[in-house]
Amino acid sequence: MVDVKSVADLTRKTVRPPKDTLLKKREVFEMLRLGSKPENMREMELDDVFISRLQLLVIMTKSYLNKYPLGSYRERSILENAEFVKVDAEELAEDIVFFGWDENAQNGLNFEPVFYQRVKLLAVMAEAFAKGHSLEAHKQEALEKNLNTICEAITFSKTISDMQFLKVA
Amino acid sequence: MREAAIIANVKIAVVDEDVIVRNFIVSTLMYSVNREILTFDDGFDAWVYFEESGFPDMVMADVNLQEIDGLALTSKVKKASPGTVVVLFSDLPGNETKARKQGSDAFLAKPFGVNELFNLVQTFVVEQDPADDPSTPP
Repeated sequence: MVDVKSVADLTRKTVRPPKDTLLKKREVFEMLRLGSKPENMREMELDDVFISRLQLLVIMTKSYLNKYPLGSYRERSILENAEFVKVDAEELAEDIVFFGWDENAQNGLNFEPVFYQRVKLLAVMAEAFAKGHSLEAHKQEALEKNLNTICEAITFSKTISDMQFLKVA
Repeated sequence: MREAAIIANVKIAVVDEDVIVRNFIVSTLMYSVNREILTFDDGFDAWVYFEESGFPDMVMADVNLQEIDGLALTSKVKKASPGTVVVLFSDLPGNETKARKQGSDAFLAKPFGVNELFNLVQTFVVEQDPADDPSTPP
């Protein structure tokens, strides 16, 4: 014979927990975890920072092209980031001149030499718009073209429309 | 989708002795929130500043710091200012459990990139719309 009371208890426990249990569950502390998987964790190298800063520069440029607002700190961070990327791209391009470029090399970033020229151009144009110089239509078109070529070489897991906070300054 | 609103005059501190990583974090956060970002290269300086000038809304710290390490800093900050969000980052998997025990709100495993930092801003710095909270009645 089925014990109706115990079935009811069981149902309440498994399907519809009491309200206070739900509240307690919501209050349970859960630490957010982001970044590399445990097996891939390691110290950040210069190449990691270069690629991350380049991705940031792409986002900054796309935000500008989307006419998202700038502010004094945003302008400052664009200038700082563009300068870092420009200097690093110059050094990486010099390394290729010095050591030669091996298309099949597995270590390092190993982008084509022309990639670094494109990155330098992107950084210079970013500096220009961060300083308030307006880019004429043909320059914006060139900027977009350059940006798209760079984006083909680096990958993103989010689109700019996912970052709603960039639409306010 | 509604437009995001960043917490007014949000104060964020970044504590890391690796200047290259610290500057990258600062550039990304400064761009995201359009505010000045406080920077420190060791836990002791950060703690002294917080005690004297008030606690920020968010502290991002490397676990590996001089004098007061990131874990001890988390414990002290959470005790003195429970509302401050603390994010710890590290290159050692074992530090994840230690960060949780100290009350860290988030753990960032190195190497990390722009997406992870944007995710932190979206989670902790953007004001949540009450309509998005499932516990709020319609």
